[in-house]
Amino acid sequence: MLNIKGLEENGYHILALEGEVDASNSVILDEAIQGLISEGSLAILIDGRELAYISSAGLGVFMSYLEDFQEKNIAFKIYGLTEKVYEVFKILGLHQLIEIFPDKQTAFSS
Amino acid sequence: MIKLPQINFGKLSLLLAILVWLGLLFVDLVRLFGIINEMESGIAIEFTWILEILFFLMVYVYYSYSISKNSKNEFLNLIWRAASTGLFAVVFSLLIFLFYGSLGDSRLSQEPFLRNFFYHISFALTSIFLISSALLWKHLILYQKNKRVVKQWQAYEFAMLGAMFFIFFNQNTLDYSFLFGLVLLIGLGLVLSGNLKWIPYLTFKEKWKSLLFLFIILLSCGFLFIQLQGFTDKVIYPVNLTDNLFLISLFGFIFSYSLFSFLVTLFNLPTSSVFEQKLVEAISFQRLSQSIKAEENEEQVLDILMDSCMSASYADGAWLEMDREDQQVEYLFERFIESDTRQELSEIINESVDSQTAPKDNFSSNANLREVQINHPRFESALVVPLIINKSTFGRMIFIKEVKDGFNNEMINIISTFVNQACIAVENHRLLNQAILNERYQEELKIAQRVQKALLPAKLDHNDSFEISAYSNAADEVGGDYYDTFKLDEDRFVLIIGDVSGKGTSAAFHMAQMKGIFQSLIQLNLSPSDFLIKANSALSKCLERNHFITVSIFLINTAQKTFCHARAGHVPTLHYDAISAKSDYLGLDGLGLGILRNKLYEKHVDEKTFTYQSGDTLVLFTDGVVEAKNHQGKQFGFERLRTLLEVYNKHSSKEIQTKLIDSLHHFVGGDGQIDDDYSMMVVKFN
Repeated sequence: MLNIKGLEENGYHILALEGEVDASNSVILDEAIQGLISEGSLAILIDGRELAYISSAGLGVFMSYLEDFQEKNIAFKIYGLTEKVYEVFKILGLHQLIEIFPDKQTAFSS
Repeated sequence: MIKLPQINFGKLSLLLAILVWLGLLFVDLVRLFGIINEMESGIAIEFTWILEILFFLMVYVYYSYSISKNSKNEFLNLIWRAASTGLFAVVFSLLIFLFYGSLGDSRLSQEPFLRNFFYHISFALTSIFLISSALLWKHLILYQKNKRVVKQWQAYEFAMLGAMFFIFFNQNTLDYSFLFGLVLLIGLGLVLSGNLKWIPYLTFKEKWKSLLFLFIILLSCGFLFIQLQGFTDKVIYPVNLTDNLFLISLFGFIFSYSLFSFLVTLFNLPTSSVFEQKLVEAISFQRLSQSIKAEENEEQVLDILMDSCMSASYADGAWLEMDREDQQVEYLFERFIESDTRQELSEIINESVDSQTAPKDNFSSNANLREVQINHPRFESALVVPLIINKSTFGRMIFIKEVKDGFNNEMINIISTFVNQACIAVENHRLLNQAILNERYQEELKIAQRVQKALLPAKLDHNDSFEISAYSNAADEVGGDYYDTFKLDEDRFVLIIGDVSGKGTSAAFHMAQMKGIFQSLIQLNLSPSDFLIKANSALSKCLERNHFITVSIFLINTAQKTFCHARAGHVPTLHYDAISAKSDYLGLDGLGLGILRNKLYEKHVDEKTFTYQSGDTLVLFTDGVVEAKNHQGKQFGFERLRTLLEVYNKHSSKEIQTKLIDSLHHFVGGDGQIDDDYSMMVVKFN
């Protein structure tokens, strides 16, 4: 189960993820990010406070946009990941490529 | 028992009948000779009667045998047999009549022997006609028989048998007992004459023919009866064979049954087309039902359906529209209609269907059938029949007629039944095809599974310095987990474990790529980190954008007792240190393969060399192990695995692996519960 809520705050498009991202629903996440990029968003923030689990397919979604973000100069940040989910990012090494913050404020101010 | 040779009852009884008749003729002529010459021939009249009865019986045996032998007893055939026999008897009598007419008053015409000879022939032919007809009638009466009719017929046969012997009782005089017997037998005959179930099964044409034949029989019957009444002159014909209860009641029976049949057939003529129609419908229905089983394809089923519906509705034209997958409408089976006329009508019908509101009672079975009145120079009404499978329409049939309101309720009902049946047939065909296709996919997947199993090493390279064992399980038929070994030389071995993002078939393809890359790059004698850099660069060209592969690689040097390790985003390897008796994960930075597809990747790879002691153990695994969840949604986790290794480290590598996997299965509650690929490789240094 995955719920994505989109809102705007402080110039950021925030996608609040709730539930689990796996192979069956990673498409939803992919579409959400794709949507923001095509809208011309320049700052995307993922709210991971309610994200319980992310599988390799979910990580693959973030990964596949890394180049796009760089090319289009889009600021892409994640915040509020639980320890367990952060561990998954860390094991894969994605924490070296994506800016991950403990909370919204640090994400905004960085 | 003496084994009798196969007796041909037909020929035997025929021969006997002829012999008996000749005997009868001889006896009677001898008696006549006696009477003429006023001599007592000494032959009792009873002797004639016995021969007469024998003759009847032989004819009966012969005909019951020959009719039952003739398997093609169609009604018309039976009636024709009776009619032809009757006709023959009549023609013969007429010939005799003509013969005597041509003789005039000559002496020969008064010759009693000749007269008696002809009388005997007439008697024989009449008897044959009556007995054979009665037996043929038996077949007609007993068509679709029930117990009651069979009983009645048996009673009649016994009564007739009795009638043969009646002559001994009343000496051939017309008294009350004779009349009583006659009334009884004719009454029985009349009761039997009510059994005319065969008539409706005749077609219209056959009914006309049978009317003709029955008419011939009636005429023959009447003619022969009147003719026999002429042989009453006691002087010329001293022995009367024909004023016999048996024959006269047979006359009554044959005549009454023929008359009944004639009249019923005549009155059935107008309704026969309806009956034929119903029969055709029943046959069509049967064909449709059978087409479900037979290996007929969808088109053939629809073809039968079209034919059946057209004949059921007497439509003047019809066609079938099939909705194809590409939104186009395909026109099939244009019957009695030109393509351009069909085009015009199609448009008219579409308009009127759209304008008319759907019928209210959607629950009735033929609610979907719609009769529309159309405005076309030639055709005035149309019936639109949608073909529905699983509540979705896949096509429609259109029947058109040149008259207004051409489709009545009966037609619509029968068409609806046909369509339902045909739709079931079509659906079955589709399901069957799907099942076959699925079967093939399953087969293909099994092959893929076998091929993938072969990609994992059957034998793990090692030497005496360490033990190694491995385990892998895919959630689907094929998976994305990978492990492999490579022997660089006597002392150096490379171990690799990998996990492709996602699972199933796509993961399996990438896993195969990984195997190819490993087996080719590792021969270049690369260090673990160099291997990862090269592998990343190779995979960047062939992985889909949102896919990546994580691997852990170990280069074991048994001469130096070291292992060099690099990690590319893979779950950390568990290491048991024999000296401290503690297990821990080898935390090393490293980015998964295929995430950064450029030179920058090099910055994100580390490698580290460790020395090992005897008793040290490495547990390489994939994330399916630690992420496996139990029923409470709790993950197996890194900590549980770490503690377990501290417990089981004294065992051999194979045993450690078994213990760990068993614990995992126990944790999740059965090995079928893990919905991800999971693999494990255990190395124990000696």
